[in-house]
Amino acid sequence: MARMKFLCDAERCIECNGCVTACKNEHDVPWGVNRRRVVTLNDGVPGERSVSVACMHCSDAPCIAVCPVDCIYHTEEGVVLHDKDLCIGCGYCFYACPFGAPQFPQAGAFGMRGKMDKCTFCAGGPEVDGSEEEFRKYGRNRLAEGKLPICAEMCATKALLGGDSDVISDIFRKRATMRGGGAQLIGWATAYGRQERAQERKGAGEGGK
Amino acid sequence: MKVINMFAAVALLVFAAAAAAAPSAQEQAQRQMQQPFNNAPVWGEVRSGEAQSTTMRGIETGVLIQPGGQTWRELRNGPIVLYGGILLCVVLAAIVVYYARRGTLRLKEPETGRKLVRFDMVDRVTHWVAAVSFCLLGITGLTLLFGKHLLLPLLGYEAFSWLAAIGKNIHNFTGPIFLLSIVVMFAAYVKDNFWQAADAEWIAHAGGLVRGEHVPSHRFNFGEKVWFWLGVSGLGLVVSLSGFVLDFPNFEQGRFVMQAANVVHVVGAVLFLAMSFGHIYMGTVGVAGAYEAMRDGTVDESWAKEHHELWVREARAAGAGAQGAPQDAKPRAV
Repeated sequence: MARMKFLCDAERCIECNGCVTACKNEHDVPWGVNRRRVVTLNDGVPGERSVSVACMHCSDAPCIAVCPVDCIYHTEEGVVLHDKDLCIGCGYCFYACPFGAPQFPQAGAFGMRGKMDKCTFCAGGPEVDGSEEEFRKYGRNRLAEGKLPICAEMCATKALLGGDSDVISDIFRKRATMRGGGAQLIGWATAYGRQERAQERKGAGEGGK
Repeated sequence: MKVINMFAAVALLVFAAAAAAAPSAQEQAQRQMQQPFNNAPVWGEVRSGEAQSTTMRGIETGVLIQPGGQTWRELRNGPIVLYGGILLCVVLAAIVVYYARRGTLRLKEPETGRKLVRFDMVDRVTHWVAAVSFCLLGITGLTLLFGKHLLLPLLGYEAFSWLAAIGKNIHNFTGPIFLLSIVVMFAAYVKDNFWQAADAEWIAHAGGLVRGEHVPSHRFNFGEKVWFWLGVSGLGLVVSLSGFVLDFPNFEQGRFVMQAANVVHVVGAVLFLAMSFGHIYMGTVGVAGAYEAMRDGTVDESWAKEHHELWVREARAAGAGAQGAPQDAKPRAV
């Protein structure tokens, strides 16, 4: 069985927020909740990188570990889903998650939390696949329709990959090996020794250029 | 040893938040010149928990990875649940053993029928508001902390979820009532809870708990004073205030603040509960007449002499109006 994963290629992400919009549109996400967001690191500085982030569907998921009513679970494909009928809105999953994935629509005064909402890897919830009930609570179940998550499918630069871990890892690995040269990637010094020695060689008329 | 580890982990949690700062931006800009595809400075700092840029509005949406949750999870699911559970069980077991060996502490002299007023209406109302809300908070809090391991397997998912949801709401609404009650309680009880010379004697005899000898005390003995300062006032305030941080997530507090508050809240609450077991035991089956004192506000003269001898004497000597003395100093029949 496939192990589902997201992988965001920071060399390709252009912070267009297409994934964010696609997700909101596909699932009728509750007001105030963003299942996916794009964070730009070192914005405006040469070498800035953007990463699209949502629930990472962890194998050792902190949310599952701390949920006091045990309403979060792994599917056979490694997708982390939760049962909104059991969720009590305590916020523990939100404390534990490093990615800020679990969020709570406000259910009352003083920030009282409603049922947790998060990315489902477009795999719905515990309800019958494709049912009205499932859509209302969790959004569309694209996996049951044989499709992959809409965010990854919509990504214009194919920075965001979602799907079987083996497949997307291979895609990414191929990209990484093709990208740039050894010297560009790991630096001249690491690839060919210290610069002074290279210059010495050049001075001795050994190398070209 | 393990306790030290726990404190070290809490300290780490604090330092992790303090040590953010990003020299990585400059470093990355420089690195970019020579090694365009090397993002090591960016990724090296990615777990710092520092807020970066995002178009998403909301609290901490710019934080890509918040590392504190891992520490919080390890503390809560590890030592807090384990040692907290052990502590509560040990205290309960100790009380059961003590009761089995010693039984209820009864009066040695027969009752006189003359009643002294020990707690006035304000004392009693605040005590019972605090007591009832404390019990509700304690039971619902323990349900959230241990229910997954103890109740969930018995009740099943659906029933336990109902119980926990109701519990969570009771907990969140009762919390503020509890804080109010302990503030009033502090004002009502503080005057008789300062150090008095007789307390030294009480400590020297361990309150007569071990050998059962009589140790005279004022209106409150040293044990009651410890419960007042460490329990009601100290832990009461710590647990209430940390609870408020969690109860009202609408003040833009970040996850680190809530993780830290939760650790303080749970550790404080477990200690508070452990102490309360002792207090509840003494106030019910442990000492005959203690529960009636708080229910009716009055105690029999014999009870007063046997448990709070100095209080009775003081009251007689001081005459009318002495605060904390038996009502108007004159033992009054009710």
